[in-house]
Amino acid sequence: MAAVEVRDLIRKYRQGEDNMVRALDGVTLSIDTGEFVSLVGRSGSGKTTFLHCVGLLLRPTTGQVLIDGVDTTALTDGQRADFRGRRIGFVFRHQSLLPTLTALQNVMLPLRYGPIGTGGKKRARELLDLVGLGDLVNHRPGQLTVAESQRVAIARALIKAPALVVADEPTGEVDNETSDELLFLMQQLNRTSGVTFIIATHDIDVATCMDRVIRLSDGQVGADERLRVERGRRSSIR
Amino acid sequence: MEILHNIAQRRLRSTLTIGGIVVGVLALTLTGAMAEHFHAQFEGGDAYFRSNIQVADDAGSYAGVISLSKIDPIQKVPGVAVALPSIGLPARPGSATSVPLGAPDTIAYADPRERDHSRLKAALADGRQLQPNRQGEVVLGHDLANEYGVKVGDRLDLPIRPQNANPDFVNHPFKVVGILKKTNTLPDATASVGLLDAQMLLQESLPASFRDRLDPSSLASRITVYGKPGVDLDMLADRINATVPGVTATRPTDFVNNFDQGARFAAIAVGTALLALLFGAILLINTMVVAVIERQGEIALKMTFGAQPWHIVAEYLLEATIIGLVGGLIGFAAGAGLAALLDLAGRTVNMDVFLITDRLAKITLGLSLALGVGAGMIPSLRAARLDPDRALRAP
Repeated sequence: MAAVEVRDLIRKYRQGEDNMVRALDGVTLSIDTGEFVSLVGRSGSGKTTFLHCVGLLLRPTTGQVLIDGVDTTALTDGQRADFRGRRIGFVFRHQSLLPTLTALQNVMLPLRYGPIGTGGKKRARELLDLVGLGDLVNHRPGQLTVAESQRVAIARALIKAPALVVADEPTGEVDNETSDELLFLMQQLNRTSGVTFIIATHDIDVATCMDRVIRLSDGQVGADERLRVERGRRSSIR
Repeated sequence: MEILHNIAQRRLRSTLTIGGIVVGVLALTLTGAMAEHFHAQFEGGDAYFRSNIQVADDAGSYAGVISLSKIDPIQKVPGVAVALPSIGLPARPGSATSVPLGAPDTIAYADPRERDHSRLKAALADGRQLQPNRQGEVVLGHDLANEYGVKVGDRLDLPIRPQNANPDFVNHPFKVVGILKKTNTLPDATASVGLLDAQMLLQESLPASFRDRLDPSSLASRITVYGKPGVDLDMLADRINATVPGVTATRPTDFVNNFDQGARFAAIAVGTALLALLFGAILLINTMVVAVIERQGEIALKMTFGAQPWHIVAEYLLEATIIGLVGGLIGFAAGAGLAALLDLAGRTVNMDVFLITDRLAKITLGLSLALGVGAGMIPSLRAARLDPDRALRAP
């Protein structure tokens, strides 16, 4: 069973009174469990719209989005919110931490929505250790660098042990060196946890660090290339 | 904690919003305390004057005196249980100070047998009741004792000499033998003396042209009539008027209906204060609407974590409620403090007009809570309907 399956996905937006824009125009693809996938394309190609459809933040105009075999387009809004909270983690380009909470509290924030469980604080600490911020648990976002903030955001995305992490330009506001560090971190987390990652980027250098590159152009899949990264070499499988 | 941080983060805006609510609640507390004061006085007056018939001389209360010879014929009217002499006169005669909002200080005599019939009971806080046939003793109401700073055993000259007293003004020393508990009604401003003393003071209060022609032992200000159980007092008053010449018996319902002017004034004042509170509510709505607009990204973020619309509504509603409650608590405390200060300052001119009650506290704080919930409803529903796709794309 694929982690994500998208069938003939169309999403239209109204622009002005008479104009309908097709942000996604019949996208069909499948992403396996544990894949580390990049979604590339220039601004306006439909990357964010695709991620929001897969992340259940946006209903497709037509088409289906299946996550772990569940047809999410058939769910009610409440069911979609619940599913999203349990199964999907998000990382954004912009600093998305709440400034009034500490790093630990930010990581635990998703636990507020959903069934009340135990051990959340312990898991949050473990995740912050995993992303290299074990010493900064009580720091507020104002006391963190951009890179550190993104690490917290990555930890937060994983707090509920999701099946899928959707990241929209997570390295968009950092320098190249930090970008590499963040990508390496996400890659490691992908390898160790088996969580599927879909990372949108307009930077081809970032994209080619992934297992697979899906190129979007004008709302359609232009190319879908599986890569394998071996030590010191990149080779194209397909 | 997050909500408190959010409130603290926008200090100026939060301060102005809470300040607006504080002003409204303070005004409501003050006017509400005035209304409670009038209500207590009205209740006390209602309890007393609805339970008896006040009978005056046919010349009306202007004459100020009635002959005790009227007691016997009144007593014989069917339905009358007892007819008792009552005396009341100003404790500060000729004073230039007007007392628009409180009960005037009064020297009074009430027959001890009234205690068996009257619904208004005043208990002693200190000392003892007057002893029959003893002169030179006084039992003071709570406010009167405070006003003149006297306690049991002290001396008080009655009536109180006004600043512009005539050369022939006379008063007499009285020993304070008892002080009543506060009732928030007329007894608080009363100096109760024995019959002989009251008759003497009543005679001295009459115009000089005829005061010496009257036998003080035959005088009272009015006769207080209590009916037998089950008797309609309004009808009994009519019967007394029809049967006994030279007197005017006022129906209790007519007597009581004249009390509500102060209550109407208080109601208007409370209505005005509610307008001030409405201003606070509008401020809060504005603050919350702006907060929702500013925190769209945060709301969208929470939606990505699985927050349902009711989660979002609850969070913003709670924030608005906390603001309303904080404003309410501060406003009530400030209002109660100001009421106490104003009462303290006004005590020397008998302007004790505020009464802070449990009921007032509950109503004021309840309204603050309702204000928070009501003002927060529209912004929080708006937050719940946010489009996360659009909000997350915003720069």
